[in-house]
Order: sequence, then C-alpha cells, then structure tokens
Amino acid sequence: MFCFPFGKGSTVGSYAMYQLRLNGMAPVAIVNGTAEPIVATGAIISDIPMVDGVDVGLLRTGDEIVADADMGSVELRGVAEKHVVTSIVRNRGRILLLQRSDHVGSYRGQWAGVSGFIEHGEDSEAAARRELGEEIACGKATLVKHLEPERFRDKEVVWCVHGFLFDVKDRKIRTDWEHQSHAWVAPEEVERFPTVPGLRRIVQKLL
Amino acid sequence: MHLTAQEERILAGEEGPGRQKAIELLVALGDIYGAERLIPIASAQVSGASFKTIGDAGIKFLEDFSEHAKVTVRSSLNPLGLDLRRWRSMGVEEDFHTKQARIVAAYRKLGVEPLYSCTPYLAGNRPRQGAHIAWAESSATVFANSVLGARTNREGGPSALAAGIIGKTAEYGLHLEENRKPKVMIDLGPVPEGLAPLAGYLVGKIAGRRVPLVRNVRFSEDEHKSFGAAMAATGAVSMYAYSGPMSRSRVDVSDVEERVALSRQEMIRCAEDLSGDGHWDLVAIGCPHCSAPELRRMARFLKGRTPTKESDVWFCTSRKVFASCPEEVGVLRRFGKVLCDTCMVVAPVERIYKRTASDSGKAMVYLPTLGKQRASFRPTMQLLEAISR
Repeated sequence: MFCFPFGKGSTVGSYAMYQLRLNGMAPVAIVNGTAEPIVATGAIISDIPMVDGVDVGLLRTGDEIVADADMGSVELRGVAEKHVVTSIVRNRGRILLLQRSDHVGSYRGQWAGVSGFIEHGEDSEAAARRELGEEIACGKATLVKHLEPERFRDKEVVWCVHGFLFDVKDRKIRTDWEHQSHAWVAPEEVERFPTVPGLRRIVQKLL
Repeated sequence: MHLTAQEERILAGEEGPGRQKAIELLVALGDIYGAERLIPIASAQVSGASFKTIGDAGIKFLEDFSEHAKVTVRSSLNPLGLDLRRWRSMGVEEDFHTKQARIVAAYRKLGVEPLYSCTPYLAGNRPRQGAHIAWAESSATVFANSVLGARTNREGGPSALAAGIIGKTAEYGLHLEENRKPKVMIDLGPVPEGLAPLAGYLVGKIAGRRVPLVRNVRFSEDEHKSFGAAMAATGAVSMYAYSGPMSRSRVDVSDVEERVALSRQEMIRCAEDLSGDGHWDLVAIGCPHCSAPELRRMARFLKGRTPTKESDVWFCTSRKVFASCPEEVGVLRRFGKVLCDTCMVVAPVERIYKRTASDSGKAMVYLPTLGKQRASFRPTMQLLEAISR
C-alpha cells in the first residue's frame, strides 16, 4: 500500500502508474492526504483502490492497514487511538509546565501540560477541568481557547490530543503523585525543555 | 456529484466498460474539485499522443480502451513524436516509429480526429466564445480560455479523452465564472520584438497558480499563442485576462490581491539568461505550431537568401496549415525541414541532437528537461538570420 501526502507532475505520471499495473508492481492501494488529478487518473485507469483525506503522517512503514476505497476509510491495525486532554495554564504571560514523575505509565521525566485521558463518555472540556483539579488542585480557571483535536503517532499509539488554554488568577499550585516538579516559563522557553511529543505545536497553536 | 439517470447507467456499466471507465474518471475528478454535475462540451483536445511521452503503458492503455469506447463529440489530437511522412529524414528510428504507429491506430479507433497539432484552433477545431470544452494541451487551453473566450480546465490526456467519450466534463474550475477572475495584476512594459514568448515565460513565474490580468497587451494572435504557451509552461496557468487593443471585454478586478510590474529590462535580461550557446545542432521553430501568417512572414524574409546549413532546421506546423501554404513551404524547405504532426518538444530530439535553439518560451522549459538539450533562446528573426545569409 502506497501512502503519501499528495502527487504532482504531468499526465505521464498517470501512465507510469498504469505501467506499474502492467508490470505487476502496482501498489494494492493508494492512500493520500489530498487526491489530485494525476494520481486519481492513474488510480482509475490502473484499477488501484484509492482513499484520500487521510493524515498519512500517522502511518509508518510496516503498519498493517486495511483500506476500503468504496467506504473511503482506512483502518490501522495494532495501533490504538487514545484521546487525551492537554491544558496550557497561563498566568501573566507565563505558562505552566509539569515534569512527569517516575510513577506514571508513559513519558516519565518529560515535561508536559496538565494532561490526562478523557474518560468514556466524558466531554473534553470537562476532562480538562477535572485534570486541573486532580493534578494541580486548581478549581477556578477561565477557558481562553480550545483546539481541534490533533493526532500524533508514537509507536503503537495515536494520541488524539485536545488542547486547551486556561488563564488562572495566581501561580499557587499543588501537584499530585503524577509529577515531580513544575515551572512557570515564557512560551518561547518551551523548546528548551524535553517535552512530550507534540507539546510545542500545541503551545504554538494556542498562543 | 449529482448525476442524471443516464449518467448513473453509464457509471453502472450498462453502456459497456469503456464508457464506464470514462465516466468514473470524470466523476472522480469532479468529486476532487467539488463539482456538482457534468456539463456538455463542444469539443475535446487530447494530449498524450507521442510515444516519447506516454511510453508502452500509454500504448497498452489506449489499445485496451479503444476496444470498448469511441468519442462522441469532436475530439482532436496533440502532436505525435514524428512526422508521419518524413520521419526517416527526421532521424527517428524504426522502433520508435513502430510504437508510434500503434498509438496512431488506437486513437483512430477511438474516433479522435488526426489533427496532430497543439493548435487545433488553427486547424479547424476553433471553439466559440463561451463554449465549454475539455482541452488537455496546456498551450491550447490557455489560448482557448484567454483569446477565444471558451471555457476549459487544463485537462490531463486521459481525462480529456474521457470527456470526449462521454461528451461531458465536470463543472469546476475555469468552467465557473467566479474562478476566471484575475488574482494578480501585471503591468507589462513595452515588449521588445520577438520577446512575447519571454514575457509569457516571466508572467507564468509571477502568476504561479493564479489567473493573471496582464495590462498593456498589444499582441497579434500569433504573439498571444507563444505568450500563453510559455506562461502555461512556467506556471500552472490555464488562463490570463488582458487589457489592450485586442481584449474582448471589461475585466472584473475585484479579486486582485497583488500588482506587479514587468519591465522591458526584465524581458531583455531573461533573453540573456536563456541565450545558451552560439552554435546549435538544431534550430527549431514552431512551438506552438506555426500559423499560416508566421510561415508567410518567414518565407518572405528568407526568399532571397541562401541557407548557411550550419545546423539542421525544423519548421513545425500542422498538416492543415502546411497544406494551405505550398509556396511558403517551398521557400522554407531550402533552409530546413517543414515538419507536420510533431514538434521539438514531443519528438525524440534527445536521440538525435544535443544543442537546440528555438524562438519559443515554452520550448525553453521542455527542451532541457523532456528533450535533454542544451537549449538557446533567440527571437525568430535572429534564428532566420543565423540559418541564412
């Protein structure tokens, strides 16, 4: 299965795909981020099933994938999607980073926002507020912004991260067992910290 | 997309696998571009005719397709990789000719008109203003949209053929008025004699994917032909609007987001940058194919002169124009070959020559890439002076 973001080129490209079919070397299917005419034409004349609208950045060479071109869907086998919230908590231009403790299940020692799993049936903002209470004992925070979920691939997990930006009145927090230390930093300092995957992008998008 | 009952039947394969594949292609492209329906077309222009560009896979595809399908609207064909009558004297090899002949036979079976030209509008397939068409040749597409006022996207070879078979194309892009509005305004300085192709070459780079409005355009139809061809080669441009003496109507500038000046000096600098070598194996004129007035002008200049024979010379035109200018062809033949059905872009020049000079801005893009040539640009008159004394 040939997965790539998009194609470009001339009509010859469509025929090159047909040549692959004739040589018995055509991919079993094509998965694209965005379909464009050259590849779509090549796929049709070569009878290669094609699915588009897929974030191919989440796919890795060697993955087991089932593509259904009639349904326009792709199933990634052996990889779990996990929905989490990550809240950036802000006070007077500085944002809160938490260093994950040795007792948590993933990303030990790395720096993160206030994060946690969204529980079954839970609304993402409710989950974000619940984590604020549990992890930093913060009961009052003003929601400033929330992001469309972003997906990151890390080994066998696709993290679907719901990003939130909250303003708080003061910097008094109390961390729980999940974290070993914390820091209030300027947003541009985030890159100096070893952070969990995707945190920088979320901070950039939120601020 | 919303399909009519008849289109649904074709899609279900009730009119055979050829028409089914053709409409699948149109519907898929329509879906990609958010078209709501298919619309009837007046004509198609099909590219992908030279063995050099489509290869063995192209032959197989066309031969298979021709078993099950035929075009239902007027459809004409782009240039081949050789002149069907003079291919041996061009230096084209036997094996290439054999493959090319299979492509010709397949297109004939498909019912595609053997114009073998990138200028169908000079060879009998000239759409009316406002007509929806499905044309694939980029230079013809830009001419049809910009000078003739017809409406077409820049089709690929297979999609233009599919449109010819169904007689329809998906309604998106330049078929819709709102997408024909210029996004960038270019103030064209005075264009030096013979540099209209390079003006187009530079406009294409500025425009990128946008429809440009080019101001102060004072071109003949032939200059528009070479100007647009170069623009479509350096940019993904399928249409330009222009103002000047030949413009057809007032242009809606409400979408213009950028204004750029293109000076005479920039065109001269571009000519210097593309000037290449001083000696050539081949001098190739006629990209796009020469019109009758162009053949007349060149013949008038060359009539009393003597060939220098320092390099091979190709004058490329359509068979239709060739047949209409026997006297001019007689003059030009003393200086080189007057070729029909083909051109320096799609003929296998890389198997014959290394250094080619041309007066075409489009050829300056394709000769070094597709043709593997060291390419040199010269205005037409300088080439005529170089091949004669």
